[in-house]
Amino acid sequence: MEERVIRWARPLGVLAALGLVVWLGMVIFVAPMERVQGVIQKILYVHVPCVLPAYLGFILAAIGGLGFLRTRGEQWDRLALSGAEVGMVFCTLILLTGPIWAKPAWGHWWVWDLRLTSTLVLWFIYVAYLFLRSFVIGSDTARTFASVYGIAGTAAIPFVYFAVDLARGSTLHPSNPAREGLPASMATTWIVGTGAFLLVFLYLVVRRLEVARLEAQALEAGAREFSA
Amino acid sequence: MRAGPRVAAAVLRKDLQLDLRSKDRVGHMAVFAALIVVVLSIALPSGHPAARAWIPPLIWVVFLLTSLLGLGRSFQAESEGGAVTTLVQAPCDRGWVFLGKAGANGLALLGVELWTAVLCAVLLDVRWGVALPEVLGVGLLGAIGLAAVGTLLSAMATSARFREFLLPVLLFPLVLPVLILGSRMTAEALAGAEIPGAWWGWLGLYDWVFLLIAYFVFDYVLED
Repeated sequence: MEERVIRWARPLGVLAALGLVVWLGMVIFVAPMERVQGVIQKILYVHVPCVLPAYLGFILAAIGGLGFLRTRGEQWDRLALSGAEVGMVFCTLILLTGPIWAKPAWGHWWVWDLRLTSTLVLWFIYVAYLFLRSFVIGSDTARTFASVYGIAGTAAIPFVYFAVDLARGSTLHPSNPAREGLPASMATTWIVGTGAFLLVFLYLVVRRLEVARLEAQALEAGAREFSA
Repeated sequence: MRAGPRVAAAVLRKDLQLDLRSKDRVGHMAVFAALIVVVLSIALPSGHPAARAWIPPLIWVVFLLTSLLGLGRSFQAESEGGAVTTLVQAPCDRGWVFLGKAGANGLALLGVELWTAVLCAVLLDVRWGVALPEVLGVGLLGAIGLAAVGTLLSAMATSARFREFLLPVLLFPLVLPVLILGSRMTAEALAGAEIPGAWWGWLGLYDWVFLLIAYFVFDYVLED
């Protein structure tokens, strides 16, 4: 199964590259220049499409964790690790691009808004997950503990969202940009961007799976050589 | 009694006896909580009306920081005495071992809450009398949630490198809902307002979800 997924790496890479070219072309040539914010608004075409891959990474970490606990199959753990690491990259991109846009638009680098705060907590859960993997002694133990934390972390997300909503109230983020009278070219650019970033996410996950698999094979070969 | 509840009760009794006899864990938590409340009492501007609004969240932060001391040592006795194998060999589902451990931690945390409440009443002039049943309910639900998540994570952090660093990094993002809900509900209760039913529901649901998750995954954690 894992091998079949890894075989998709090259076509996914080509599709992701094409998607990125189309998305970039639309950002530069199709999406209109926002009258008030000017060129800085274009960073939102990076910021918004990162959201779905960031959440998908966490879902993969939980699915991989559940699969590993049920079957003890290492391929499930590799899926969880790949999802978490690539999800972390997208989550970090959200947190970096947001403030770059927010400073000129809202006048502050950071506001304790519902979505910003929830995303920051999500990022910390990713950090904790990756720390746990690297600090626990024994690779099987690390896999088990990471699986447990991946499941618990995903279960905590709705509670974090509700609690931050309670503490911070309304959000400055629009609920659905497509419905709020934006030009169709802007909404289309976001949709194309989300599709392209999803392809990039899938490509990176598959490549990370491949690297993790090669690492496991190298370890196995090393252990065989040592015992021989 | 079936084996599971019997094992949970035995683990709970053993941990409580250990706490009461050695007094290390409870004593350290009590002194630590007292120190933070004293520092806060000195640092907060006296007589300033805005400072009073900060008290409920600060109480929960004190509670969270203090709970780290206790939770971090939850499996220390078993780990140092080589008794983890005994827990693994318990003749029942290991989720029951978790319930016993979490029960002992929950009671220790409730003790810390009561102690912190007394300190705040004396040093910060917090008047709990206005809403005692609500505050007790929030404290109980908060202690259950913290004990459930904290016991599970403590079992994982015990065998890790840098465990003093790892436990808060793992714990804080997951228990943030307890901290926020607990402080909001405490603030409402102290102001004499009615706490919305949805808030009770979310805190109760959090406890239930994490007790269930921890019960089912503890088997794997203890095995490793």
